[in-house]
Amino acid sequence: MMQTQKYSSTAITLHWLIALLIAVAFVVGLYVADLELSPWKLKILTWHKWTGVTIFLLVLLRILWRLSHRPPEMPAGMTALMKKLANLTHLAIYLLMVAVPILGWLHSSAAGVSVVYLNLIPLPDLVGKDKALSHLFGELHENAAWVLVGLVGLHVAAALKHQLVDKDNLLNRMRW
Amino acid sequence: MTRLNRVFAAALVLVASTAWSAGFVPDKSSLTFVGKQMGAPVEGRFRHFDGDIVFNPADLAHSHARIEVDLASIDLASDESESEIKGKSWFHVTAHPKAVFESTTIRALGGDRYEVKGRLMVKGITRELTLPLQVHRVGGLMVAEGSTVLRRTDFNVGEGVWADPDSVALEVRVNYKMTLKS
Repeated sequence: MMQTQKYSSTAITLHWLIALLIAVAFVVGLYVADLELSPWKLKILTWHKWTGVTIFLLVLLRILWRLSHRPPEMPAGMTALMKKLANLTHLAIYLLMVAVPILGWLHSSAAGVSVVYLNLIPLPDLVGKDKALSHLFGELHENAAWVLVGLVGLHVAAALKHQLVDKDNLLNRMRW
Repeated sequence: MTRLNRVFAAALVLVASTAWSAGFVPDKSSLTFVGKQMGAPVEGRFRHFDGDIVFNPADLAHSHARIEVDLASIDLASDESESEIKGKSWFHVTAHPKAVFESTTIRALGGDRYEVKGRLMVKGITRELTLPLQVHRVGGLMVAEGSTVLRRTDFNVGEGVWADPDSVALEVRVNYKMTLKS
C-alpha cells in the first residue's frame, strides 16, 4: 500500500539533522571518554558539548513543531498494539533527546566547567561544583545515551521492516 | 580631658591595636580559582592551606601574612584532571608540595582597603606579587578577602603541550578569603 501522507519539510529536515548530529555526538562521546587528558581531549570535549547544545535546541524546535503539527497517520496495516509501541518508542526517544544533553550539561556544571556555546553564549551552571555529583551525572549521561542509541536502533529496524517486509513505503514520509 | 574621655581614648587605642593573628579559621576561609579551558570558565579550589597571619590595622609595620597551600588538596573537575594537575607538567606536587605566599609590606589604601606586597613561591619559582585586600569584621571575626590574576606560566605551571593558551588560558583568577580570630 502506498503511503502518500508525509511529514512537513520542517519536520523532515529537523529529523535528519538531529539524527546526523546524534550519531556524531555519540561516536565522538565514546571516543573522548577513552582519551587521556590532553589539549586535544579538551578541544574534542568542547566540540562534543557544542554538538549536544545544538541537538538540544533542535529537539526543542522539533517538539514545538510536533505539538503544533499533526504527524501523518500510521500505516493502516498496523495493529493497535504496534501503533502503541511505535508511539511509546517515539515518546521515549524524544524524552532521551532532551535528557541526554541536560545530563551532559549537569555533568559539566558539577565539574565546575561552564559551557560557553560556540565560545559565544555562556550557559548558566545548573548545579554548583561537586566532583562526586559530576561523576554520577557523567555515568547517567553515558547510560542514557546508550539507551537512546538502542531505541534509535529499534526505530531504524522498525522503519526498515515497514519498508522491506511490509512494503508500505513508510520511509517516504520522511523523505524530502 | 575628663576622666571619662580618657577611659574612652584608652579603650579606643586598645580596640584599634588589637592584633588579629594566628587564630586562622580554616572552615571560614577559602582559596578558589577560575581559569579558562577552551574559552569556558573552570573553577576549582584548594581544600587545605594554612595561615600564619598577624594583622593589626593600627600597626601595619608589624603585620604580616604567610600562607602555605597544600597543592595536592586541589579540587578540580574530575579525578583525572586532579591527577593531571598534580603531575610534572603542572604543579609537580611530589617535588613542590606547597605554594607559599609571604608578605613583605602591608599598606592601607583607605577605608577597609589594603594592599599586600609579598612573594609567591610556586614550583620552586618565586615572584613578587601585590594583592588587593578588603577587610571587614563579621561578629568577632576578621575577614580579609580579595582576588588577583596570576599567569600560570610565570611559575611553569602547565608546561609542554599544556603551554598552549588556547586550550587552557594562561591567566587564572585566584580568590582568597582569610578569616581570623583575634
